[in-house]
Amino acid sequence: MDFKDYYRILGVERGASEDDIRKAYRKLARRFHPDVSKEADAETRMREVNEANDVLRDKEKRAAYDALADQVASGAGTGPGGAGTGRGFTPPPGWDQGHEFHRGPGQGPADHAEFSDFFSSIFGAGEQRGRSRQAGPLRGEDHHAAIEVSLEDAMAGAEREISLRAMETADDGRPAFRDRTLSIKIPPGIRPGQFIRLAGQGLPGHGGGEPGDLFLEVRIAPHARYRVEGRDIYMDLPITPSEAALGAQVEVPTPIGSRVEVTVPPNARSGLKLRVKNRGFGGDPPGHFYLLLQIVLPPADNDPVREAYRALARATAAFDPRRHLGA
Amino acid sequence: MSYHVTATTVVGSSDPLTTEQLARACGAHVDWVRQLAEAGILQVPENRPPTAWLFYSEDLQQALEARRLQRDFDATLDAAALMLDMGREIRRLRALLAAHGVSRAAVD
Repeated sequence: MDFKDYYRILGVERGASEDDIRKAYRKLARRFHPDVSKEADAETRMREVNEANDVLRDKEKRAAYDALADQVASGAGTGPGGAGTGRGFTPPPGWDQGHEFHRGPGQGPADHAEFSDFFSSIFGAGEQRGRSRQAGPLRGEDHHAAIEVSLEDAMAGAEREISLRAMETADDGRPAFRDRTLSIKIPPGIRPGQFIRLAGQGLPGHGGGEPGDLFLEVRIAPHARYRVEGRDIYMDLPITPSEAALGAQVEVPTPIGSRVEVTVPPNARSGLKLRVKNRGFGGDPPGHFYLLLQIVLPPADNDPVREAYRALARATAAFDPRRHLGA
Repeated sequence: MSYHVTATTVVGSSDPLTTEQLARACGAHVDWVRQLAEAGILQVPENRPPTAWLFYSEDLQQALEARRLQRDFDATLDAAALMLDMGREIRRLRALLAAHGVSRAAVD
C-alpha cells in the first residue's frame, strides 16, 4: 500500500485554501472525467482526484491526514519499504487519536467504492467508529462496488467468486482489513449498468442494527468479436464480393453459443446492417443482434483469381464508381 | 477468510427499490429522492406518493451521479439534470460509434 500525497495529486500546496482546493479539483475533474477526457488513464486519474478531493475538502479528514503526513515525515508509519518511501506504508498505531470523521451530506460508501486501500486504512475505521457512537440500533450502510463480467456470462448467467475487503478496527485499535470471498450468481441476461443486489452484505450494523446491502454495478468486459450498445449487440460479418453481389445464406455464431443462419440480400454493400431480432439482451423491449457487413476482397495472388478479376472488369466496363466525382 | 454463498437479485422490475431503499443506497434522505423526481432526474408516476414509487438500476445510476455532481460541483439539481442528460447522450453516441466499429481516436 502506497502513502498517497493528496496535495500533489490535486497540484496544490499544503497550505492551500478551501477555495484553492475546490478550484484545483474542478479543473482536474474536467480534464480527467471519462466522458470528456482524451487521456489514456483518465479513469484511474479521476479516481485519484476524487479520493484526494474527498479528504482535502473535509476539514476533519484533512487535519487527520496532515497529522499523519507529519508523522510519516518524521519517520513513523514504517513498513517494508521504510518511512516516506511510498512503499509498504502502514499507519502508525493511534495516529488518528483526537480526530473524528463525520460523514457530511453526500458522503459515504457509495462514493468510496473505488477509493484506494490507503484511503480505507486511514478513514474507513474512523468513519465506522463515528457511526457506532450513535445511540440505538443503526442499520449498516449500503456498500457499492463494480463487477466486470464477460458478455457470454452476462447473457447466459454464471457463478462467480468475488473478493471483498472491508475495514474494521482490530482489538489493538488499529485499522485492519477483513477479506471475504462470496460466491454469487450472475443472473442470465444482465446488462451493463444494472446493479446486482446482495442483501445483508454491506457494512455491518451497530447496536443490533441490520447490516446494509451490497450493490454491484455490472460492467461488460470488452469482447474480441461482439460490441454492446444498450440492449443491442453488434458484430462485423465478413462476406465475399460474390456473396454481397448475388446474395447468400450465411451462418453466424451468436453470443450465447448457438448459430443462426442469416440472409445477405443481393447487391449488399459494406456497412449494411442486418438485424437478428430479439437475439440481444433480454428486457422489455428485448435487444437485437446486429451484423455489420464487411466485404472482404479475395487477394489477387494467383492466376485464376487474377483472371477472374479481369473477367469481372470486362463484364462491368460500364460501371464507374467515381462518376459522381466528375473525373 | 470466510466463505459465503450469497443470494443475488437484479435491481429491476422483479426486484425494484423503494424510495427509502434508493435513498439509503445513495447515503441520502427520502426528501432528496423527492427533489430528484421534481427536477426530472428520476421518472415517477404522477399522483402517486413517494411511498408508492419504485426504482430500477438506471434510476440508481442516475441518482448516484446526481449526488456526486451536487457534492463536487455544487450543482443545482436543474444543472445536474442537464449534465446527466448530456453525459448520457455522450455515452450513447460513443457506444454507437464503437458498435459500428469506429474508434474514438478516429473522430477526435
